[in-house]
Amino acid sequence: MPDRFTYRNPSSEPCVAGGPLTGVRVIVQPNMSVKGWPCNAGSRALSGYSALENATVVSRLAQAGATLIGSSRMAELGFGTAGDTTAQAFTDSRADLALITDTMGEARMAAAGAGLYGFKPSYGLISRYGLMGLVPSMECIGLMAADPSHIGQALAVMAGADPNDPSIPHDCAGGVSADLPPITDSPVAGVIEECMDGLEETEQKAFQTGAARLSAAGVTVKTVSLPPYGLFRDAHHLIAAVEASSSAGKYDGVRYGHRAPTGKNWNEMYLNTRSEIFGPLIKPFLFQGAYFQFKNYAAFENACRIRGRLFRAVTHLLDQVDLLLLPTRRAALDPTQAATIEETYHAFALTLSANVTGHPVLQIPDPTPAGGAYMGLQLMGARLADMRLLSVGLCLSSTMREGR
Amino acid sequence: MKYEAVIGLEIHVQLNAATKLFCDCPNRPGDEPNRNICPVCLWMPGALPHLSREALEKAMLACLALNCTIQPESSFDQKVYYYPDLPKGYQLSQHHKPLARNGWVDIMGLDDQRKRLRIHHIHMEEDVAKLLHETEGRTPITLVDFNRAGAPLIEIVSEPDMRSPHDAMEYVKALRAQLRYTGAAECSLEQGTLRVDANVSLRPWGSDLLNTKVEIKNMNSIRNVGDAVAYEIVRQTRCLEKGEPIVLHTRLWDPEKRITTAMRGKFEGPCVPDPSVARIVVTDAWLHALREQLPEMPAPKIDRFMTTYGLAPDEAAAMTAERDLSDFFEAVAQYDLPPRKIAGWISTQLVPALRERNRNIDRTHLTAERFAGLLTALESDRINTQAAREVLARLLDSEAPIEEILKKGDFGQLSDTADLKGLIERVLADHPSDVQDFRSGNTKVLGFLMGRAMKASRGKADPKRLKELLTERLS
Repeated sequence: MPDRFTYRNPSSEPCVAGGPLTGVRVIVQPNMSVKGWPCNAGSRALSGYSALENATVVSRLAQAGATLIGSSRMAELGFGTAGDTTAQAFTDSRADLALITDTMGEARMAAAGAGLYGFKPSYGLISRYGLMGLVPSMECIGLMAADPSHIGQALAVMAGADPNDPSIPHDCAGGVSADLPPITDSPVAGVIEECMDGLEETEQKAFQTGAARLSAAGVTVKTVSLPPYGLFRDAHHLIAAVEASSSAGKYDGVRYGHRAPTGKNWNEMYLNTRSEIFGPLIKPFLFQGAYFQFKNYAAFENACRIRGRLFRAVTHLLDQVDLLLLPTRRAALDPTQAATIEETYHAFALTLSANVTGHPVLQIPDPTPAGGAYMGLQLMGARLADMRLLSVGLCLSSTMREGR
Repeated sequence: MKYEAVIGLEIHVQLNAATKLFCDCPNRPGDEPNRNICPVCLWMPGALPHLSREALEKAMLACLALNCTIQPESSFDQKVYYYPDLPKGYQLSQHHKPLARNGWVDIMGLDDQRKRLRIHHIHMEEDVAKLLHETEGRTPITLVDFNRAGAPLIEIVSEPDMRSPHDAMEYVKALRAQLRYTGAAECSLEQGTLRVDANVSLRPWGSDLLNTKVEIKNMNSIRNVGDAVAYEIVRQTRCLEKGEPIVLHTRLWDPEKRITTAMRGKFEGPCVPDPSVARIVVTDAWLHALREQLPEMPAPKIDRFMTTYGLAPDEAAAMTAERDLSDFFEAVAQYDLPPRKIAGWISTQLVPALRERNRNIDRTHLTAERFAGLLTALESDRINTQAAREVLARLLDSEAPIEEILKKGDFGQLSDTADLKGLIERVLADHPSDVQDFRSGNTKVLGFLMGRAMKASRGKADPKRLKELLTERLS
C-alpha cells in the first residue's frame, strides 16, 4: 500500500496547551504551506519544494493548540480527488480534522465517501495566504471531521481578517464566533427540482429517504425551482480553466520544482519544463483555460456574467428558504476514479454550484450507504451563515442518529 | 504625395514609492541583484499581492497633475504572457478599468501657439524583472534580477494628437515637469525611470485616417525621442513611396547608428480580471484630500510669476521648470532684490553651477538667505560680477558665513578714483600703439584696454567707474 502521507510530522506534540484546539489532531494537504514541510501540491511542478512560511490557517490552528500530524497526498494542484488520500490518512491516523482544498467540492466529496462531515465555508471567510491554489475566485480551504463541533471550533479559529490576504472582503473581516447559535425555529429546506433530473431512480430514492429523515427531525422540506441550474457546470468549467491557466503560469522551473534539461535557449527550457511538469488531467485543463484567454475571451466574459446571475438566483432562493438541500455525490460515480476533465466534472456536478456562488455548504453523512456507497446530503446556507449552518447540521445529526 | 505623421506615446513612469506595488520590498531596482525580493515579488507558491496605498496615492497624484479624471472604481487584470522576466506568467496591470481617464497637457507648438495634447488614460502596473543575457563557456545563459519585479509604475497613454517630433519632445518635457512637481516620480529617461514608447503612423495630408502604426522603443533621452520619431517618419514615407505596406510591429531605436531596426511582431496578450487584488474604490473625501496635496502646477505658476514678480515669459518658464528651483526663487524674492535679477542669476549662474556639481540645491550649503546676501552685495557694488561668481562657488561648497567669505577672499571692489587712475596710467603706458589706434578713430580698442585694466586689477576694479575714467582719460 503506498504511503498515504506526503509528510508526517515527527514531533506531533501540541504547540500550545489550553488552547481551544489543544489535543485536536489535524491533517493538511500538501498545498497548504507549513514552514519546512515539503509542499508539492501533488504536482511535479513543485517537486522538492518546501514551504518558506506557514499559511495563515496553519499558524492560527497551531496557535490554538492543534497538532499538525502530517500532510496527505492530493490530486494534482487540487483539481478533483483522483489520488487524494486525505480520507484514508484521516482514518488511519485517527485524526480529528482534515483540511481539504474545496475547488469544485473536494472536501465535501471526500467526506461523503468516508461517511464524515465536510464543510465548505463562505468564500472569503478564510485566508488563502499560503494556499497553493489553482482557482482563486472559487477555492476555499474546506474542513472534514467526524464530529461537526470540531469543524465549528476550527472555523472560528481560522476565519477572519488577515493582513497577508487583502482579498478578504469587509463583511468577512470579523470572522465567526465560536459559539454555535441555538436553533429555535424549524428550518425550511428547499430541494432544487432541476438538480434531481440527472439522478438515477435508485439515487432519487436514496436522496428522498435522506430528506424524509430531515423531515422527521423537524425540517420542513419543500421543492424549489432554479431554472438556470444547468449552467453551473459550464460556468465553473470555463472560469476555473481560465483562472487555473493563469495560476499555473508561475510553474516555469526557474525558481523551484522540476526543470527540464536546458534547451537551446530559455524559451525551449520553458516549453520542455511545462510539458514535463503537468499530469494528464491538469494539462488539458490548462490548455482549455489558455484557449479561452487567448482565443475566446468573449465566452469567458459571458461565463462571468452567468456566474453573477447564478449567484443572484441562489441568494434569492435563500431569501425564501433557510437551506438548500442537495445530494453530495452520485452513488454510482467514484470521483477518485475520474480520469478526464469530463468525468471529473460529471462526478462533481452536485457540489460545484457552491464554488460558483461562494455560499457555505455542510455535507452530512448518511447513516447508511445507498447501494453500498455514501451519497451524502448537502445543506447550503446563506452567505456568512456558516455557524448557523453548522448548528443546524449538529442538531439534525443528533436527532437523525436518535431516530435511526 | 504629402504625408502627415500621427504620433501617440505610451510612457511608463516609475513611482518613487518606498516599497514595491504589491509587497513591502524596498523599491530600489538598482541595488545589488536579487537583494530586494520576497515570496510575493518572486511569486512563490501561496503568495498573495497586497496593493501599496502609498503607490496608489502617488499614482493618483500623478493622474491629477495631468488633469485626468480619477475613476470611482478601478481594478487589476492579469496580462498573460510567458517570459523569464515575469515570475507569475502574467503581469498585474489595469486593462479593463484603469485608474484615470481623459487628461491633457499643453505644449507650445512649432507655430508658437499653445497646443493641447490629450491623454487617453493612465493605469497602474507592476514592473518586470531585469534579464541579463550572458554566456557560460559556450552556453548562452540568462540571469534574472528580481529587484525591479513588482516596482510600481504608471503607464500614461496619449491620444494620437502629436504631429511632429517637436510635439513628441515637448509632450514628454511638459509631462515630466508636471509629474516631478507632484514629488511622486523622478522621471529620468537616462536612468530608465521614465520610458517612452512611440507609436507612429502616416496618412495623406488632410485625411483623418488612423493607419497601421509602428511602435518604437529604447529612446533614453528626449532628443532620442525626437530623432527616433523623425527617423521613423522618413522610413515610413520611403516605404509608402515604394508601395511597401506598413506592418504592425515593434522597432528598436539604436542610439549609436541613429536608426530604428525591426525587433518583433507586436504581441498583445489576453487580459483577465485578477481575483486576488482588491478593487480600488475612490471616495470623494479621499480624492479631495489628495487634491489638497497637489502643489501649484507649472502653468498657473508661470502666470503668477509674470504678474507678481514682473518676469518675462521665458524667465517665468525657466523659474518654474523645477519645483525646488521655483520655491528657491520665491524664497529669495522675499528679500529686497529685483526679481528679474534673481531669475537671471539663478538661470545663468546657479543652475550651471549645480549642474557642474551634479547636485540638487538642497544638497548644497546654499540657502535663500545666503543667495540673497550675495545678490545684495552685488547690487550695492560691494563686489563685481566676477567676484560674485567666485563667492557663489564658496557659498555652495562651504558652510562659511557670507561676511567671512567676502572678507577673507579679498573680494572688495576697487572703486577709489586715485587707485583706478594709477591703474589706467600703467596700462596706457604698456600699450602706446593701441592708444594711438583709439585716437585715430578705432573705438573698438576701448574694450581691449578695459580688459587689460580689469586683468591688472585681478578682476576687482569696479567696471562702471573704470570705464568712465578710461573714456575720460582717452578723450
